[in-house]
Amino acid sequence: MSLQYLKDAARESDTEKLIRYVRLHFGDGNEAAGRKEIDKAWIEALKLLLDVPPTDREFIFETLQSKDASTLAHLFFHLHFYFVKHSGEWIHDGEL
Amino acid sequence: MANSSEKDSQQLRPGLWQTVNERYPGSMITKETFVLLAKLKKPLSKSHLSFVSTAGVQPKNSMPFDTVHPVGDYTFRRVPSNSKPADLVIHQLKYPTRGARRDLNVIFPIERLQELADEKFIGELSENFYSFIGYNMNPEMLEQTLAENIADAVEAEKPDAVLMSPA
Repeated sequence: MSLQYLKDAARESDTEKLIRYVRLHFGDGNEAAGRKEIDKAWIEALKLLLDVPPTDREFIFETLQSKDASTLAHLFFHLHFYFVKHSGEWIHDGEL
Repeated sequence: MANSSEKDSQQLRPGLWQTVNERYPGSMITKETFVLLAKLKKPLSKSHLSFVSTAGVQPKNSMPFDTVHPVGDYTFRRVPSNSKPADLVIHQLKYPTRGARRDLNVIFPIERLQELADEKFIGELSENFYSFIGYNMNPEMLEQTLAENIADAVEAEKPDAVLMSPA
C-alpha cells in the first residue's frame, strides 16, 4: 500500500484500510498472521502483569507526560515487537 | 513495441508495479522516468569501486536501523570497506537472515570484494560502503532524501563504479 493510500484512508476515517495495513506490517504481508501477532503482543503484556509485579509507574507517567504523541506512537510499535519477541514465538524472517 | 534504446532505459521488470498493486491494493507507486546506466570508462582493474546495499548491514556500534516504524527508515549507514563480518550486524525484519548470519557474504559480499581488490581484479575499494533497509513506504522521501543522501556520500569518495545490490 502506498503512503498516499494510507493518508487518504486516515482523512476519510476508513479504519478498515488502516488496520489492514497494520496487520500486513505485523504479519509480513499476511493479514491473518498480523491479526494473531497483535493478539500475541497483548496476551504477552497481560501475562506479565497477572501477578501484579512492581512496575516503574514514575517512568511511565514521566514518559507519557514528557514525550510527544509521535514519539509515543513510535514506541508503541517498538513495544509490539518487544512483546512478540518476549513471547518466544517469532514468525518474522529477519530480526529487529 | 519498444525499440532497443527504450528497452535499455528500462531498469525495472515490466509489469512490476501492476503485480505489486494486485498484491497490495492501493500501492500506486509508479516510476515513469529512469536514469540510464553509465558506461564504465576504464577497466575494473583500474577502477575505484563503491558498494550500496539494502541488506540492513551496519557496524555493531551504530544506531540500529528502524525496522519497526510503519512508514520505514530513511537513513543509511557507512560500512568501512575494510570491516570484518564480525564487526557488522544485520538489522532487517523483512528478509530471511539465517544464511547471512552464517556467512554475511551471501547478502553483503564484503570479503569477496576485499579479496578481489587484493588480487587487483578491482583497482581499489572506496573507504566506505553504504547500507540501508528497503522497507520504505514514502517514495518521495526514499528518492529525494535517502537516495540523494547516499548519492552525495558515495560521490564524495569519487568512485568510478558502484555495485548496487538489493537484499
